[in-house]
Amino acid sequence: MVETGDVHEEILFRPIEQTGRGFYWTVAVLSVFILWGVVAYVTQYYWGLGVTGLNEPVSWGFYVTNFVFFIGISHAGTLISAILRLSKAEWRRPITRMAEVITVMVIFIGAGQILIDLGQPDRMLNVLRWGRYQSPLLWDATSISAYMSASLTYLYLPMIPDIAILRDRPGGKRKLLYSVLALGWTGTEQQHRVLNRAIAVMGVLVIPIAVSVHSVVSFVFSMTLQPMWHSTIFGPYFVVGAIFSGIAGLIVAMIVFRKAYGLEYYLKPIHFRYLGQLLLIMSLFWFYFTFSEYLTGYYGAEPEEMKVFWSKFDGTFAVFFWGMVLCNLVIPLACLARLAQHTVVKVLAASISVIVGMWLERFIIVVPSLSSPRLPFPPTTYWPTWVECGETAGSFALFALFYVLFTKFFPIISIWEIREGREVGIKEVEERVLSYLPGEVEGQS
Amino acid sequence: MEQSNTNQLVKTLQWLWMCVFILLVGGIIIWISHLIYAAWWLGDVPSASIGISLVAMPIFVVLLSVVLYVFWGLAVRGRGQ
Repeated sequence: MVETGDVHEEILFRPIEQTGRGFYWTVAVLSVFILWGVVAYVTQYYWGLGVTGLNEPVSWGFYVTNFVFFIGISHAGTLISAILRLSKAEWRRPITRMAEVITVMVIFIGAGQILIDLGQPDRMLNVLRWGRYQSPLLWDATSISAYMSASLTYLYLPMIPDIAILRDRPGGKRKLLYSVLALGWTGTEQQHRVLNRAIAVMGVLVIPIAVSVHSVVSFVFSMTLQPMWHSTIFGPYFVVGAIFSGIAGLIVAMIVFRKAYGLEYYLKPIHFRYLGQLLLIMSLFWFYFTFSEYLTGYYGAEPEEMKVFWSKFDGTFAVFFWGMVLCNLVIPLACLARLAQHTVVKVLAASISVIVGMWLERFIIVVPSLSSPRLPFPPTTYWPTWVECGETAGSFALFALFYVLFTKFFPIISIWEIREGREVGIKEVEERVLSYLPGEVEGQS
Repeated sequence: MEQSNTNQLVKTLQWLWMCVFILLVGGIIIWISHLIYAAWWLGDVPSASIGISLVAMPIFVVLLSVVLYVFWGLAVRGRGQ
């Protein structure tokens, strides 16, 4: 039997053991959007990509925008969680599980966008049979597979002790499932040692994989000679944007589940304050990269690049561009500059704004360059049809549904890590702080 | 008796699950190897395929090693103790 915790832990088991009307309503509403997505996909499958707004030369539209956006959001979890774990940030304990779940759910949805964009999904077999490693598209396939596997493992390993708690709960459901997934966990010292070592290795492994994934996503653009894509800073620019949108996604998920499941005892304003500060820093980083990217292009004044540049600043895509600046810089700065009061509301407003802004950013990276290519295509633009809108809405709804269903099976906050924080963490932090302060250290000269 | 059967079922499912993971990672490694072979066979810059594979394959091998280590440490050795 595994050890038991305090009375407040019952809040964490409630979503798993009880199902309220709110759950059914949520599933019903999400199912409507998913159904719209399914109808859209079946239509596209039957009639081909002609039913979408995609054309020549704008062959990438909403789907690739969604792909880049979702892969970006996936950085919420594993990367943020790994960094917080490795840096021994104690405030991470109620956050890491939610972050890791986002990664796993969203990366499947993101990778699925490519299947949708292919039109006929059997084209994927060509990648399996005749893929060429000179193509950044295949680097993407490889790095996303690695990230998917690593994130799934990194989500699963810290869940093992919690699954064992569920297995051992009297009158609990799904005993067989939990028994299989708990891998015989009884909480012995040796098991703790094995698990902690594995989590530490995964933490170190997952950071370079996460960075590589979004760098490689950016290479899909920057390895071409399309105007405003061929840039050396696209790798770090995409990674910064991914972490930025990932933190925003994590904050929104935390606030939604805090409200829905009554997790105020665990997710305190201090957590949102710290995440809000991180979001603010990432907003400034994002602005720095955006400024560098556009200033360099402007200064070069290469005619084809300038066509795209002005279409964003003062042309067809100006609304999206300035909307992006408003959502990614102005609103976050206004909301996050002072977080002493109304912390949660301000952080939520900033996060929603960033999610919208980052989607717009992905859109204005993908579409304007394709609308004004170097090849002599007639002037054209892109307008999505109901098919792309449906698949986009369906994808977001599917992500939300996966997340909600996850919370029906597993605790959304790591129970054993909270217990560990209470039993060991406080003492460890005290010792660590003492070791930072000036003074003699035992065993060292 | 029933408890013993359940335990046996749990153990079998755990081994099965581990086999699925090994097959998944093994499948990816075989796929990468196939792409190197295809590049070499077609004379299509095999050095690029080899170079990228040298980065990709060890990641999957490390991942598999970690999972097997946990499985062995918890489900096999841990249970024995």
